[in-house]
Amino acid sequence: MSLELSVNSIKMDTSGHFLFISEILNRPVLSASGAAVGKLHDLKVRLGEAYPKIVSLAVRKRWKKEKYELDWGRIDRLESGSLRLEAGAENDLRPLAAGAEEILLREDLLDKQVVDTFGARIERVNDIHLLSVNRELRVVHVDFGYRGILRRLGWLRAVDRINQWLFDYRSEEKIISWKYVQPLLSDAAKKNLKLNVSARWLRTLHPSDLADILEELDRTSRTSLFRSLDVQTAAQTLEEVEDPKLQISLIESGPVELASDILEEMAPDEATDLLAELPEDQKNQLVRKMEKPSAAAVTALLKFKEGTAGSIMTKDFFAIAEDTTIGQAIEEFRRTTYPLESVAYVYVTAADGRLRGVATLRHLIIGDLNAPIGKFMNERLVSVGPQDNVEDVADIFKKYKFLAVPVINEGGLIEGLITLKDIMESQMDE
Amino acid sequence: MKFPRLRLSWKSVLLFLAVAGPGIITSNVDNDAGGIATYSMAGAHFGYGILWPLIPIMLALIIVQEMSARMGVVTGKGLSDLIRERFGVRITVYLLMAVVLTNIGNIIAEFAGVASSLEMFQVSKYLSVPIAAVFVWLLIVKGTYRSVEKVFLYACLFYITYILAGFLSKPDWEAIGRSVVVPSFTLTPESLGMIIGLVGTTIAPWMQFYLQASIVEKNIALKNYRFARMDVIIGSFVVTLIAAFIVLTCASTLFKAGVRVETAADAALALKPLAGKYTAYLFAFGLLNASLFAASILPLSTAFVVCEALGWENGLDKKFSEAPQFYGLYSMLILLGAGIVLIPNIPLFPVMYISQIINGVALPLILVFMLRLTNDRKLMGDYVNKKGYNILAWGTIGVLVVLAVAYLGLLLGL
Repeated sequence: MSLELSVNSIKMDTSGHFLFISEILNRPVLSASGAAVGKLHDLKVRLGEAYPKIVSLAVRKRWKKEKYELDWGRIDRLESGSLRLEAGAENDLRPLAAGAEEILLREDLLDKQVVDTFGARIERVNDIHLLSVNRELRVVHVDFGYRGILRRLGWLRAVDRINQWLFDYRSEEKIISWKYVQPLLSDAAKKNLKLNVSARWLRTLHPSDLADILEELDRTSRTSLFRSLDVQTAAQTLEEVEDPKLQISLIESGPVELASDILEEMAPDEATDLLAELPEDQKNQLVRKMEKPSAAAVTALLKFKEGTAGSIMTKDFFAIAEDTTIGQAIEEFRRTTYPLESVAYVYVTAADGRLRGVATLRHLIIGDLNAPIGKFMNERLVSVGPQDNVEDVADIFKKYKFLAVPVINEGGLIEGLITLKDIMESQMDE
Repeated sequence: MKFPRLRLSWKSVLLFLAVAGPGIITSNVDNDAGGIATYSMAGAHFGYGILWPLIPIMLALIIVQEMSARMGVVTGKGLSDLIRERFGVRITVYLLMAVVLTNIGNIIAEFAGVASSLEMFQVSKYLSVPIAAVFVWLLIVKGTYRSVEKVFLYACLFYITYILAGFLSKPDWEAIGRSVVVPSFTLTPESLGMIIGLVGTTIAPWMQFYLQASIVEKNIALKNYRFARMDVIIGSFVVTLIAAFIVLTCASTLFKAGVRVETAADAALALKPLAGKYTAYLFAFGLLNASLFAASILPLSTAFVVCEALGWENGLDKKFSEAPQFYGLYSMLILLGAGIVLIPNIPLFPVMYISQIINGVALPLILVFMLRLTNDRKLMGDYVNKKGYNILAWGTIGVLVVLAVAYLGLLLGL
């Protein structure tokens, strides 16, 4: 993120200038007459705006544990070494309190972990970059870099000079726009409120990035982040989490109703894998809470032993009778509401439900609308049984390069489908 | 903090085995080259009389480590992480520098331990140290947390050599029993210095960081916390038992003969004529195991601590390219530690001396930070220190701080 780019995105006049929070924290706060009031302890912002405004400052007085608050507007000017208040402002100090949707930059943000939604990773805040325009101060960037640490230690100038002298080099700023920063507030009392304010940024992340971030985080932040996701995102993210122990701790972090809602949203085979790791009573409780179709699919899958084709297959497949016309098939396909894991193949069954052949999506698109699908299907089927070893199934995928393989029971009925993704995941676990 | 009775069922045994590791490993690493040297000196110079202080030291170790373990389980964050979030970047960076410097001193001591123990078996240090460095490096870089932990747990088993050596040295059990039950001990400046040395080598800053980091890495659930505590208690007990056997081996042989030693290898050499070559070999082998073990853990712990606080990727489950600073720092520490030992005629004493002084400064700070963190309700919720426990903890840490400062005074010759 270059500085110029972000500066243009916020309306500023010529008097605006940047400063780092480390440059003003702990500076003396002086009354209009120049008498010492205390030291600048913290800055409070209200979230919601793209670049939130500082609403008040917290002042620390010598020998006092309590911190005092004063509206930002009561500052007369920001001088190089100090903050000068308006006449009489020092009499209006009130005890510091942060409401909902308000955060204290030092207490809640500085040195804490945040999610960088631009780079999709966890970072630690080394410094905060502020823009002062028209007597207003706004948060514009967050510093994750070495320079931020050096600046706060007071070594930046010395290190820069040495680098310049020795190597003719200046280390790069690692600074990112506030709009990509997702704070993770660890104070249990208010974190849910605050996360919701900016949780929209999280939706711009891919579920697998979200899963990586969750794996990185400590338990408290992990739980609060997960709870702030909507059910669908939570389900997709949970599917991407690789560690089964972590999946369980996430699903257990909320109430049972939420857990079952999330499980319904997940692909049945993924939900089953997760459920299979849980103790018996917990598993049954969750399955009971789930809606009918998902519960049935999951119950059917739970029967299969680990390491068999049945245990990794999905119940979401698209099958139609061989006398269906292409037009009807397309109509049927449109009406399929649940998300299909694989749309590559259309399975064609005989009147008695036995699997007869397979057609591809291509046939649906180019075929004559009135012709029965049976005319197009390929009858040379490669299928597996539900009790087959996963290793054997993997070999079939390697040999034929299929996108999906149907699972057929002894009666010749299609039980489910194993997709390339399923088999890849099962192979990666080892 | 109450210690609820553990019902001994298969389920709880299995759960314990799943959780156990961090505490036992951390404690055992504590008996590293420096520790063994200190225990050998204590036994050789003061006899059985120096055994009883090991018991209060064990209790202090349990109290300090329990706090680390609890913080790890409850917050899921490492100690340096918590210190930075609570006390700011400035103090954290200076503290980290202190920890890195003392750890470098310790790592050098470990490689020196490898060199001198293998010299007993006529292996040149120019061969043993590079091999040890490569072994240690590969173990961590190629391993995952699970596999590495397994290797470490097996390494713990080898400490049994000290128990065997202890029995071979034909100790006077009656005199030992008497000296532990009725502590009779004349407090001289030398003996006080020895006790302070024992405390200093047993309760070190890196341990708290390492223990907490490995508990976090293991992702132990809150409901299994009592097993993590059990792990810490068992670890502290085992480490004290081993220390006691080292002391009594030297007490029943070297002390009787009036031999003075300065290092663990000295002790092993001196044991040869007095207790037979097998005791000496067991002693030397124990030293090798302990040095290798600590040489793998100390650089690892240091890298963890630094990366965590500065927000760099870390952890054994990352690849080299994912966590370059973590593995870079780890490799550099090994290179430095092993490299310095290989410099011909290098006087190691000043290096150790400086590292011990920094240690004495850093430890009180870290202990006080730990107490403040474990009393923070915002952080620990219902797992803050209970009132009675807090008095005990402040008392222990007060004594430790006084001892650390006294040790510093002794080192500086005040």
